[in-house]
Amino acid sequence: MSRNKARIKAGLVLTLPSFFVVFAFLIYPIGYLIRMSFYDYSPLRSLQPVFVGLENYKWLITSDIVSHSLLVTIAFTILSVALEVFLGLMVAVLLAKLLVEGKTLIDKIFCSVVNGFLILPFATPAISAAVAWKMLLQPSFGPVDAILNQQIAWFSEYPLLSIILADAWKMTPMILFLFLAGILSIDPGQFEAARIDGANTLQEFYFLTLPSILPVLGVATAFRAVDAFTKVFDIVFMTTGGGPGNDTQVFPLLVWKTAFDHLQFGQASTLAVAAILISLLLSGILLLVRRKA
Amino acid sequence: MKISRSARIVIYVVLIVAILFSFFPMAWMLTSSLKPENEIYSDPPTWIPQTFTTRNFSDLFDKFNFAILTRNSVIISVSVVVISLVIGAMAAYGFSRYKFTGSNILLGGLLLTRMITPSSLVVPLFSIMETLGRLNKLDSIIVGVAVLNLPFVVWMLKPFFDELPREVEEAGEIDGLSPVSVFWRISVPLAAPGLFTVLLFSFIAGWVDLLFGMSFSTVPEAMPLTVGLMQMQTGYKIYWGAMMAGGIYLTLPTFLLALIFQQFLVKGMRSGF
Repeated sequence: MSRNKARIKAGLVLTLPSFFVVFAFLIYPIGYLIRMSFYDYSPLRSLQPVFVGLENYKWLITSDIVSHSLLVTIAFTILSVALEVFLGLMVAVLLAKLLVEGKTLIDKIFCSVVNGFLILPFATPAISAAVAWKMLLQPSFGPVDAILNQQIAWFSEYPLLSIILADAWKMTPMILFLFLAGILSIDPGQFEAARIDGANTLQEFYFLTLPSILPVLGVATAFRAVDAFTKVFDIVFMTTGGGPGNDTQVFPLLVWKTAFDHLQFGQASTLAVAAILISLLLSGILLLVRRKA
Repeated sequence: MKISRSARIVIYVVLIVAILFSFFPMAWMLTSSLKPENEIYSDPPTWIPQTFTTRNFSDLFDKFNFAILTRNSVIISVSVVVISLVIGAMAAYGFSRYKFTGSNILLGGLLLTRMITPSSLVVPLFSIMETLGRLNKLDSIIVGVAVLNLPFVVWMLKPFFDELPREVEEAGEIDGLSPVSVFWRISVPLAAPGLFTVLLFSFIAGWVDLLFGMSFSTVPEAMPLTVGLMQMQTGYKIYWGAMMAGGIYLTLPTFLLALIFQQFLVKGMRSGF
């Protein structure tokens, strides 16, 4: 009993600082947020917050800007994660094959070169990636249009596609390395056996590789999707700024702009409460999925 | 087992395309950063700078305050590392070793916050920092980044502590070490690879933060590099040359860290999930 008490004490002492930080700068702010969501507070009109009851929540449910923003975010999430998973899986499978079965010195050197290059987008700060892609997709002096021999203003003509491309460029390596680790943990003997049974490369992928990494694939994809949905910000902010119109106004950006561009702190708080509820819901589902996998 | 000739060709072609795709945006940024302003605007663009110049890089310091901004970014990153390592390691160790009633619920609660939308936290933190008079001070940015980083750190470190052999710690306890000494003198050194991974991720988290920086500071004295880079795009003009140079400047440290310590980063990605 006393040993258990000592353990409780040690456990509390060690974890207490983190709870203090989380309480002071996370729980308390969220409480503040919930309170402000019942107020109209726009410093431009009045310095005093005015209690408006459920007014902001009515706005949240009925506003076209909000529902449009959610739709944009969902579209962005599905398309960018699908692209990332497709590219990541393809490269991971091929790279794993060369890593395991490539026996020549050139194969080995090439693999480490590939490894080095693939980490580059992941290591690039999102804001730098945004600036780089803004340059690449410039209509008059950007190289992409020069290669295609076109004059396309990508970020205004195909804004959603452009931010998806930039995001996929930055985030594919992460998913790729997770898949790669999953594939490399498959017992090589199983590939050997499949070959002896006469399986070709496609059959090998479909009947052996894919089922083996399905848990990793599921969890990594789910995590990436939640991250994309809740955290997309820097790249969109820097390239399209949510435009043209509201075409790329993803939800995290809408929260920020409502507060800091339109100075509507009450409405922004309501949006933030909604964002946090969505995050908690999604991460709750994730924890369950992860436990199953 | 040998790879067939046709499979080898497919593998090499796809991987080379992957290399080009990974490498091209930053390579283009690098060559553009070395071009004079008028050459950046040339249509069609030049693939290799016709006239080399380092003007864009010197402009960063002469016109865009990059000396001060660099200092700020370093202070922010290092502070985030220290806070994350100390508080995060203690918490992860506590959760790993001392299971007590309710510890799982607390851990779950901490981990749920890993998914919170950062921009929704900026709104109330802004008001709180305003009340405390911490706007346009680096500590408000540090706190924001560190708080959102902390759940991630605990999530990433706990598996490292879980894997440590208990026997070594128990031997320490039998030798009469207090729980704190066991933690500090035995477990921390053994978990060094994990702690180093957290150090890398935390440093990068501080270095790349845009959100808290641009929300909490409006003066160069308290502004990180990311915000300086963002401000090169104004409503009237985009300073392309300086922006390309600034993008390279901001990327170089994280890129070097990633290249040198790739195994740690990949391991961190895996345990971060």
